[in-house]
Amino acid sequence: MTTMLILIPLTFLLLLVAGAAFFWAVNHEQFDDLDSAGLLPLTDHAPERPEPPEEPPP
Amino acid sequence: MSACFHCHEPLPGEPVLARIGGEPCAFCCIGCRAAAEWIEQLGLGDYYRLRSAPARKAEQSTEASATWSRPELDRHVVRPLDGARSEVCLLIEGVRCAACVWLIERSLGALPGVAQVQVNAAAARCRVVWDPARTPLPALLDNLARTGYRALPLDARALDDARRRETRDALKRLAVAGFGSMQAMMYGVALYVGAFQDMDASTRELLRWIGFLLATPVVLYAARPFFAGALRNLRARRLGMDVPVALAVSLIYAASLAEALRGGAEVYFDSVSMFVFFLLLGRFLEMRARHRSGDLVDALARLTPMFADRCRADGTLERIGAAELRVGDVVHVAEGGGVPADGVLLDRACHVDEALLTGEAEPVARHPGDSLIAGSVLQDGPVRLRVERVAADTALAGIVALVHRAQAERPRLALAGERAAARFVARVLALTALTALGWSLLDPSRVLTATLAVLVVSCPCAFALAVPAAMTRALAVLAHRGVLVAHADAVEKLAEADHVVFDKTGTLTSPHVQQVGGDTAALALAAALARASSHPLARAIVDIAAGEDALPAATDVAAHPGMGVEGTVTGRRLRLGRADFALRGTLDAHALADAVVLADRHGVLATFHPRERLRDGAAACVHALQAQGLAVEVLSGDAAHRVGAIAQAIGAGQWHARQTPADKLARLRELRAEGARVIAVGDGINDAPVLAGADIAVAMGNGTPLAQASSDIVLTGGQLQALPEARRLAQQTLRILRQNHRWSLCYNLCVVPPAALGLVPPWLAAIGMSASSLLVVLNALRIGRAGPMPPAEAAALREVHA
Repeated sequence: MTTMLILIPLTFLLLLVAGAAFFWAVNHEQFDDLDSAGLLPLTDHAPERPEPPEEPPP
Repeated sequence: MSACFHCHEPLPGEPVLARIGGEPCAFCCIGCRAAAEWIEQLGLGDYYRLRSAPARKAEQSTEASATWSRPELDRHVVRPLDGARSEVCLLIEGVRCAACVWLIERSLGALPGVAQVQVNAAAARCRVVWDPARTPLPALLDNLARTGYRALPLDARALDDARRRETRDALKRLAVAGFGSMQAMMYGVALYVGAFQDMDASTRELLRWIGFLLATPVVLYAARPFFAGALRNLRARRLGMDVPVALAVSLIYAASLAEALRGGAEVYFDSVSMFVFFLLLGRFLEMRARHRSGDLVDALARLTPMFADRCRADGTLERIGAAELRVGDVVHVAEGGGVPADGVLLDRACHVDEALLTGEAEPVARHPGDSLIAGSVLQDGPVRLRVERVAADTALAGIVALVHRAQAERPRLALAGERAAARFVARVLALTALTALGWSLLDPSRVLTATLAVLVVSCPCAFALAVPAAMTRALAVLAHRGVLVAHADAVEKLAEADHVVFDKTGTLTSPHVQQVGGDTAALALAAALARASSHPLARAIVDIAAGEDALPAATDVAAHPGMGVEGTVTGRRLRLGRADFALRGTLDAHALADAVVLADRHGVLATFHPRERLRDGAAACVHALQAQGLAVEVLSGDAAHRVGAIAQAIGAGQWHARQTPADKLARLRELRAEGARVIAVGDGINDAPVLAGADIAVAMGNGTPLAQASSDIVLTGGQLQALPEARRLAQQTLRILRQNHRWSLCYNLCVVPPAALGLVPPWLAAIGMSASSLLVVLNALRIGRAGPMPPAEAAALREVHA
């Protein structure tokens, strides 16, 4: 019985954390673009900000 | 290597060469080479490995993106944020796969001052947050154009993206309902099992209150759309789907709370959470399908020209945004240019292509004093016109208004269908009320227990699953076969339709040319030149030359919009296009009025007459639909002899020629007044009002965005044969839906009487509920399994294929 009294509040806590994390993710655009993120690991080198070439081609 | 490295189009005889990433690569044109070199220089060459679809053919940009720096125009499209940052919403053409999204985000993100880039591939929209002081808006657009995408800034109001909010909201509610119902179910199972194992009362109480705690956010937060919808329905004095759902949810929740408070026999917090979760899941899938099918606002933005050349008092021109035009302004329209607003032609006669409004493919002559319509394309020019109507008053805006009105009319017609769905829950609620009444007369202390048992045992789970499970399965199977369904209720209407109205041009037929004079060598010359143009007739010439050997290469190619193409092939200077252009006025061109002519300095080499070819599978589609018992009709804006020939070729019973969009809509109303349920199939802008007014609208996947946005179903592959197949599937779906409903009814008839008498123990109710839900889902999975095709239909398909 005591284990239950400890474990049940624990599940609630975990539930709250999971829910809050999901809400945070939705609000921070993690679910807006589900297409391009899947390609990131496939690129050889993924520089965060590639520098634009100095001289644009004609 | 025979295809362009960038766009995968066939290479000309002498391709453009370049070294990309150290490898020699061949390109079809300079535009594609420039795009590939630019992408390579940005260090984003990975794009070519990642993509799953070839890129759009890159064009050398002709539009003056510098016009976007005008402050008057800037205000329309850019919204300032805090500090130095601003945001803009771009409509991007050419997004084909996820790699495009990656490429756009990377290439824009590399520019100085760009803070955030978000691409929504489904809507083809891109939101950029950046510092305009460090990178002006034209630089953003230029960067995209170099990479091979055409970008169009949208009105700043598009930034309040209703869809994004809707998606996020739905996701959160779904998550709350999902988490909540899973947990509530766990404690629910403990309660059910506890009933066997003599759980002591205090533990039972504890588990009940935990259930209450979990169900509360689900009911109060996740189920809010149902309550809001029910309120809207009640205010409008009609009984929609939401009213019984909201009533059932609140009844179960409130009664369970009352039971928990007084320590009664049963609580059903787990059931109510599951009920909400399944309903939300169904709605979420429906919303996703709806979002994929296009947007009216975007479609309109693509149609109207963005810029206008206004004549100043001193005769010079200034380039302004079309939104800035005022009535009375005089604008200059160049040859091949779009007319920016409705107006009166001032100085000389010209030809305009008004396919937009009339569906007529041939240009019409206009004389000074005649009016020109916004969105039509000038064939010869330049001309000046005085602006008469702008923005919302133009004929084009009128068409869109017509679409909106036709769409708004539909809910009233769809009401009957919605009522049928609401009836089931209404019946259950009536039964519940009856039980409550019976017990209040016999034994008031058992009213709550018995009514709650009836409510839970009978309706929610099987009911909540019956429709979404069948619909989700049907939508998935249809999408797999190239049929995108935007509104779930379209499935039901598709199954019940008994009339099909086809548009002709672009739907039943595709453009085609017939060579009259000249030999195959001349055809090869024409195709070499035609490759430089994106005009549909030029494409058709390339198509008929596809069987020939390697084509010669054209050099020094110059495209004259609205006229034709000029270039040097095998050392000869050639012109391909309208007769008066190709022959340089040397011969009487009137005899060849609507033909495409290939000519050199000495005269005509070959003539191509525009024809229409029956689209592959059009006849098969019509025969299969007729075998299903539908009446087929053709409505077209084209001339009578052409419509008649096509109607005869496909075996359509009835046809009407020379129809304006208003005529078509009138014919549709007439059919509907006779009690027919009509499917309209079309692809053009002029079809949009008809599509919006039909019981069920089907657009071709390669048709105009406006037509797609106003339709229920999009044939993504452009395959007409998918339509009869889709109808068969819709009928199967309805059959299975009815089976599911009948099963729940049967189940209810067996279970409700004992429940009403208070004889069903909770564990039995739980098992019954799960078993009935499982059966409903398994039954829904049968949709799309190859069933036997009706013999008559199979014969029709065989006959056509033979």
